[in-house]
Amino acid sequence: MVGATEEVELNRLENQVDNGGGGDWEYLCLVRKLKVRRSDKVLKHGLSILNDSKKRSKLGGEEWTLYEQVAIAAMDCQRTDIAMDCVKVLQKKFPESLRVGRLEGMLVEAKGSYEDADNIYEGLLEDNPLDQVIHKRRIAMSKAQGNISEAITRLNKYLEIFMADHDAWRELAEIYVSLQMYKQAAFCYEELILCQPTVPLYHLAYADVLYTIGGLENLQNAKKYYASTIDLTGGKNTRALYGICLSSSAIGQLTKGRNKEEKEGTELQSLAATALEKDYKKRSSNKLPLLTATLKNLKL
Amino acid sequence: MAEDLVLDTAIRDWVLIPLSVVMVLIGILRYFVSKLMRSSSTPDAKMVKEGQVVLRARNLRVAANFIPLKSFRVRKAYFTNEEDGLLHVPKGTAAPNPQAQMLSDPNMAMDMMKKNLSMIIPQTLTFAWVNFFFSGFVAAKIPFPLTQRFRSMLQNGIDLSTVDVSYVSSRSWYFLNLFGLRGLFSLILGEENATDDTQKMMQMSGFGMDATKTLGAEKDGLDIIQHDWVLPKFEKRAERVLRKLVA
Repeated sequence: MVGATEEVELNRLENQVDNGGGGDWEYLCLVRKLKVRRSDKVLKHGLSILNDSKKRSKLGGEEWTLYEQVAIAAMDCQRTDIAMDCVKVLQKKFPESLRVGRLEGMLVEAKGSYEDADNIYEGLLEDNPLDQVIHKRRIAMSKAQGNISEAITRLNKYLEIFMADHDAWRELAEIYVSLQMYKQAAFCYEELILCQPTVPLYHLAYADVLYTIGGLENLQNAKKYYASTIDLTGGKNTRALYGICLSSSAIGQLTKGRNKEEKEGTELQSLAATALEKDYKKRSSNKLPLLTATLKNLKL
Repeated sequence: MAEDLVLDTAIRDWVLIPLSVVMVLIGILRYFVSKLMRSSSTPDAKMVKEGQVVLRARNLRVAANFIPLKSFRVRKAYFTNEEDGLLHVPKGTAAPNPQAQMLSDPNMAMDMMKKNLSMIIPQTLTFAWVNFFFSGFVAAKIPFPLTQRFRSMLQNGIDLSTVDVSYVSSRSWYFLNLFGLRGLFSLILGEENATDDTQKMMQMSGFGMDATKTLGAEKDGLDIIQHDWVLPKFEKRAERVLRKLVA
């Protein structure tokens, strides 16, 4: 995650670099540190350093890191010719390196020959069966080929060992949602909430999944998780506000004939509706009638 | 008493400064030597998995109240059930103790030895050097008074109770340098690279920590945990937040 101050700093540096104000290397370092994806800029500025032998030699040992960074950025921009040059330089310098091997695999992958890339990765895995990056690359490859079921099997196999890797859990959750396998997705989101209980996005996604599954208990739980999202975001998340309204209305429909005891917490949904109206009034008043009509339909 | 001891400036030029410089240089040299000798060990799958299991179980223990009771129960059973729970360690097959493992695996012993050699040899050599050339005299004075307790730390090698404690003997200066240069090394060699003797020693004594023990401890932790779902409270809190927002 990129913090707000870091992002400001990053954008400031990017601006400065774009206008030729220097600080290229600092910018590239920051991009690498924050793991943001700005491949076009990295490619442009990284390449200008690499092509200038004076600047390049000033980096010392860091030169090779830059080659790697530029190679990956070039692959991302479909400039496989540049990536190939970088990888070749690195291969010459580190002939036996696993890290360069990975790059080689990624290069083949970027060219679209997935089978060859898979072979390369498999060869690398024989020596280092626990390399997380390679496992993830293979998962991403099956996904890119449209072979979702294989991606799921591989992800599950990966998670059997690296079960504390929340990024993998997130990926799996999103795949399950895309396949409408909501029960499995709910499990993954629970895992994510366990990992980082204060990230509102996971609460929101979990609530969405529960709401989609349906049933009284799930709807009630969904409402609770929408509520926690509201609490964690300070009421600024529009989706969570809508979620409260929708799940309350669904609960209302399910419990229509029953006694009044179960119809508690009506205040929350009316509050959510008011908050929504206020927000729309402030930010997009021309869509306000649409909102009021929708809320009316929900019979809150 | 404190005023009447005047230190020769030659002591500063020929003892204090050379000693510090030598210590720094040796530290740097040792860093590069150990970097040369370091052999990358590939972690074995079982150990990685155990570490990850412990991590995930810890997450579950800490954040248990954020998931519904049913989900918590499922996970708890997955981790702690007596047949094939992830944290359950069958009694008979406890991992062989690391001492025996070390004997059976010469690579491991070799690694240990390399680490120790890079630490002990330069230390004994420098200590012998300091002891031979600079033993038994006062090398520096610190600018503030100290209590008698510090005598053994600052005046190692001088057995005079009449000397003020703020004088530092040369051998003590060596020790101060040995343990106090870490900050400087992390400046010179980068944050993670600092050769840290004290930490290494801790690692040594902590070596042979039993993975099965951490698993067992984590299992006990999970067993006694009470599930108290916090989400119902969040509805009230969300109400409060929204009321503030709407008002």
